[in-house]
Amino acid sequence: MTDASTKIRVLIADDEGMIRSALAALLRLEGDIDVIAECSDGEEAVEAAERLKPDVCLLDLEMPGLDGVEVAERLGRTVTTRFVIVTRHARPGVLRRALSAGVAGFLPKSRDAGEVAAVIRQVAAGARYIDPEIAADALSDERCPLTNRELDVLRLGSNGATTAQVARALSLAPGTVRNHISAILTKLSVDTRQQAAIMARERGWI
Amino acid sequence: MSGTYSGGVTTQIRGSVAREPRSLPVRGMASGVRGAWWYTVSAIVFFELVVVLTWTGTLLQGGVPIVAAGAVAVGGALWCVSTLPLLSAYRHRTGDPATVQWRSVLVPIVIAVGYGVLAFALSGSWLLLVVPAAQSVQLLDWPRAVRTRMVLAVTALLACLWVIDANGVVSASSGSANGYLATGFLSAALPLMTVLSLWWWDVLIALDRARVSEARLAATQERLSLATDVHDLQGHHLQVVALQLELTERLLQGDDHSAALEQLQAARVSVDEARQGTRDLATRFRSVPLRDELANARDLLRAAGIAAETVVDSNADDAPASVFGPVIRETTTNVLRHGGGRHTTLRLARSGDLWRYEITNDTDAAVDTPGSHQVIPGRERTGLDGLARRAKEVGGTLEIVAGEKDFTVIVTVPVSEVSTR
Repeated sequence: MTDASTKIRVLIADDEGMIRSALAALLRLEGDIDVIAECSDGEEAVEAAERLKPDVCLLDLEMPGLDGVEVAERLGRTVTTRFVIVTRHARPGVLRRALSAGVAGFLPKSRDAGEVAAVIRQVAAGARYIDPEIAADALSDERCPLTNRELDVLRLGSNGATTAQVARALSLAPGTVRNHISAILTKLSVDTRQQAAIMARERGWI
Repeated sequence: MSGTYSGGVTTQIRGSVAREPRSLPVRGMASGVRGAWWYTVSAIVFFELVVVLTWTGTLLQGGVPIVAAGAVAVGGALWCVSTLPLLSAYRHRTGDPATVQWRSVLVPIVIAVGYGVLAFALSGSWLLLVVPAAQSVQLLDWPRAVRTRMVLAVTALLACLWVIDANGVVSASSGSANGYLATGFLSAALPLMTVLSLWWWDVLIALDRARVSEARLAATQERLSLATDVHDLQGHHLQVVALQLELTERLLQGDDHSAALEQLQAARVSVDEARQGTRDLATRFRSVPLRDELANARDLLRAAGIAAETVVDSNADDAPASVFGPVIRETTTNVLRHGGGRHTTLRLARSGDLWRYEITNDTDAAVDTPGSHQVIPGRERTGLDGLARRAKEVGGTLEIVAGEKDFTVIVTVPVSEVSTR
């Protein structure tokens, strides 16, 4: 038995109770890993991590409220901890978002507990681990045909801002914003801004 | 389809299913109809210019002073130019009334009205008074029913004015209504011709949208058949797992622990096979052009805080994706995983009759502690060996250059050897 002070302290957040408790039980069987918290959603994970300051947070990507990457983004500012994201199905663009948020490990849920433990050890030691399957998916994402400016316009517009508000927020003329919108609709072959926003969100562009 | 893997050997379908590009022609429309748009615009503007020229000609024939006829010609040219913003607004209309730019619409309309008044003052022709404004108004984005009624009403009005003009000012000044036949007809027909041209343009757009929808529908149908395949595959594996667990239960009841353990391990293998098979089904149509794949790799590396550059030939999409796709994936994953380096350069270019892919990253000795990236020992090495085998199969090579401060993987494949993508 390893001394408690040298154990890797792990927080697990997953909204699926069965998976969370099974994974926690399996990880506790590893001599060098101590599961110090089990959380069922993102908010709880943020609260627990700020209180307990774990070495590694193992976060499910798909959680109600805050998702795994959002938890990492929020905690990255306040707590020194490493993040591992697990997911059943990585949506397009999510790996890029996770890497930008400083996530150190990313793996599919199908990996067995032994592999998860190995990744936790590696990440706790300061390295990064990206699962080949996740990386392969991310590399075959469809490229976004929109420019950064067009994405800004679409992002603001999809939050309900009017053309005038979008123009003001981006310091553009309303006419320029309208031209951007028209270009977006043409490039995506859709009829309305709403459709364009839905399409862009599905593909992880905004 | 389901026969391919109903035997449970999921590895079979991995290689045998042809990788087809996903059909989502997101960028298809812009270039496809641009030509048709310029054709429409030039036809409308040309028609307007012809009308202005016939007016000028008729006025000259009718003995109107050259200065007045010139003013009608110059004003007409200005009016023709003023219809361009209207046409542009028509093309870029979003169908949302709130987005109509009233200011930019108002100016051309005012020009048209002003020109009509000027031409009427100079010639006394009622047609010249009404036609410019009537034409410009047609170019606004009206609902279809309104537009049809409006153009019919306007055409009828213009026909009446034509008759009035023919019997009034023109016949009085020139003495012959015959010369006015062509002018009157062209003027009265202008709005109708314009509306027909715009209608034609709308039809083209609708056809183009239909083409895109058709492609999407095909993709949806593909997805439906995929759902059936997934169902068959999952059903088969779940049944196998259920049987294996039942057997385990019996063996445990009979205290045969080692045999029970064996069955449990077999069940885990079945689960993994089902998972892998499902993934293979879900990703079998996922393939993007190599240039996109390299751009994605660059974005990912940059998101991970690595300064990444790509140097890619413009025709790099012609390189064999079956070889380079896995190479790009594996090597990018390796660089991401190490997390030690700060710079990475990816190159894909054709030199002579060789395609050459090269990825270089600097290695950071401080972070690269021994064993730190051996989560699954030897996995990376095995990955590169697999790639080398694949390259060799198509007559290519894989070379690893481990320098003191950098690490490079170079893959070359002869151009002629590879016929399949």
